[in-house]
Amino acid sequence: MAQETLPTQGVNTIIEAIDPREARLGRAAAVFRWGALANGVVVALILLIALLSGLGVIPGLFTAMHQLLLGRTAGADDAAVAGTVLLIQLNITALMVLMVGVLAREIWGMLGAWLLALVNLVGLFALGFTPALLTVITAVWAGVVVGRDVRAFRLNPVMLKELRGRMRGARAFVVLTVYLGLMSGLTALLYLVYTPASRATGSAAAGEVGRVLFMGIVGIELMLIIFIAPAFTAGAITGERERQTYDLLQTTLLSSSSFVIGKLESALSYVLLLLLAAIPLQSIAFLFGGVTELEIILSFVILTVTGVALGTIGIYFSAAASRTLAASVRTYTSTLVATFALPLVLTIVLDILTGGIRTLSPVVEAVLTYIDDILVSLNPIATALNTQSLLINQQEVGFWAHTLASDGSTIPRVSPWISFTIIYLVVGAILVVLAIRRMHQVEE
Amino acid sequence: MELIIETKNLKKRYGKFEAVGNLSLEVPVGSIYGFVGPNGAGKTTTMRMLTTLTRPTDGQAWVAGHSVTQEPRAVRRAIGYMPDEFGVYDDMRVWEYLDFFAACYDIPESTRRGLIDDLLELVDLNHRREDMVDKLSRGMKQRLSLARTLAHDPQILILDEPASGLDPRARVEIRELLVELAKMGKTIFFSSHILADVSEICTHIGIIEAGQMVAQGSMDEMRHQLMPHREIVVTVRDQETADRVKSLVGDADGVVSASIIEPKSGRSRVRIDFIGDDDGVAALNQNLHAAGIAVMGFTEETKDLEAMFMRVTKGMVT
Repeated sequence: MAQETLPTQGVNTIIEAIDPREARLGRAAAVFRWGALANGVVVALILLIALLSGLGVIPGLFTAMHQLLLGRTAGADDAAVAGTVLLIQLNITALMVLMVGVLAREIWGMLGAWLLALVNLVGLFALGFTPALLTVITAVWAGVVVGRDVRAFRLNPVMLKELRGRMRGARAFVVLTVYLGLMSGLTALLYLVYTPASRATGSAAAGEVGRVLFMGIVGIELMLIIFIAPAFTAGAITGERERQTYDLLQTTLLSSSSFVIGKLESALSYVLLLLLAAIPLQSIAFLFGGVTELEIILSFVILTVTGVALGTIGIYFSAAASRTLAASVRTYTSTLVATFALPLVLTIVLDILTGGIRTLSPVVEAVLTYIDDILVSLNPIATALNTQSLLINQQEVGFWAHTLASDGSTIPRVSPWISFTIIYLVVGAILVVLAIRRMHQVEE
Repeated sequence: MELIIETKNLKKRYGKFEAVGNLSLEVPVGSIYGFVGPNGAGKTTTMRMLTTLTRPTDGQAWVAGHSVTQEPRAVRRAIGYMPDEFGVYDDMRVWEYLDFFAACYDIPESTRRGLIDDLLELVDLNHRREDMVDKLSRGMKQRLSLARTLAHDPQILILDEPASGLDPRARVEIRELLVELAKMGKTIFFSSHILADVSEICTHIGIIEAGQMVAQGSMDEMRHQLMPHREIVVTVRDQETADRVKSLVGDADGVVSASIIEPKSGRSRVRIDFIGDDDGVAALNQNLHAAGIAVMGFTEETKDLEAMFMRVTKGMVT
């Protein structure tokens, strides 16, 4: 007898809306998805034209593109084009996240849509960022669709459950206290070790002490986040499987998006708590000077993005594995490979390959510079260090012009924290979508 | 008869191994349906297909009018499922456990509090409201589990071995709860290998063996179909009277055979294998009286489920 076709279960639409409310949320999610796709097409077009122009096939298009895409900004034309691409990437990521958020019935899914529309409008008028129109239309459209039924949004049950469990009793506070105690101890140790050392060399500028303390604290936090964030999420879904509660949840009306987002929210909110709790410690550096507010903010951005992205890696492997142990091993292995091993090996390989060449052609040098930038952006620690040195030595936090050694021409480069943030958030958003997809699969 | 669960040639293969083959199940609305079979017969696999957790290899299944493959979410809304193992969340109170699952069924926060009270009342766990879930006894966990399945007021309860591993008292409690729920209009589909539980409360029964349905229907139908013979035991004072009874009824209409069986507490007994209706049984009794035989006992033995079960199953385990 003929087997009826089974529904293909994608994440992008609620597979089977059982009431008008779910149908509405599904429509909004579809709007977000099409918006993200359209933005992707625009990026592809811009890159294609830029490539043709850069290779000299159609010369002199950069100025026109600058005028068209980011018309109200000054600065180099090529930097403007690169900036446009990065901004659209951010929009795509935001649209993907909002799509999942709306499906998971998170209120930030709707608020985020309106905020995104607003930010893009500002970008449109202040920077002349014309591709913003696409996102404005998408976000307003989806925002209107879901705005008609605000009651669809609710507190995520999974997050509530997780937080109730996690914050119950003394444990959560003991963990926080131990964490802060350790951080304070290390800070004190750093101070005690560094001050006499710098006195001995006669360079005991207070600013330098402050900077060393700041870098030390951020470094420790970064290491902690790298280990803690995946640990919180790697057991999120496999844990339910091991406790045999996964089937129970699967037979409820809870959607996979709600489940994954709830788990992620609860894990990341705890990570965020740890980060926020350590900000006063970072600020000790202010007492000595040598650290600016901008550095504190940037370090917080890098730490948060690291936590979010590594958390999503954990969630993804947790959805794909059946045991927490397997999920943890895969999470840490792939994290280490992607952030440390791969950049390190590639850097060494590149060095060996190009080391013998005395003079590089400008194009090769430019390409190598960009590859180098991307490799740095893969690793949060390298990103933090390079961002800080760029800030201190060249006072740059955004785009800057790099002069090539080969022919003295300039190419636009971007401070690593920006490329790092975009790469990590894009990967994070993709992993969340993949994790949800994994959860949709019915056991064969 | 309106069916609320129906499967047509439902099949589940794992590689070459066929866990369930051509299963056609018919569960009428409002019934308590006992799904009986030896361990490894395919009971759990069938239930997992009905609850949309496992995809059938072939065939179709409808639950509350929805196809399990086409409209899994509509099916999920109609069913409350209790697997054979209890999923425990440590770090969770009894009321939080119910609150969480009610929230998963999208029940608004404002109505959840009252709902939890009602559910705890129903399963008699009100006094353990603030206790941690993993501190409950097994019987209590099972009752809590049952309360969880009721959170969204489903039409059908699908319960996998609800009474396994419970002490006698807890088992009786669960049984009583099921009867009560059936009175509330729920259809209850549960699996078991404890036949006493099944015969006690079920209105319908399906017997599965090696992935095949060997018999199903209402309890009465099944009795009739599988056991056309009625068994009547006549107790008399002594052996001599027993011989008279035997010779007297031996030729009567509908009597297949009459034999003297072992005496019990010093009284002789005759077993009569009889095919016929209630009038026939009454006539038989009257004949004995008319012949002046002092009958001390005239009882019809109800054929129990175990005999039925042994008769239809062959002891095959996949």
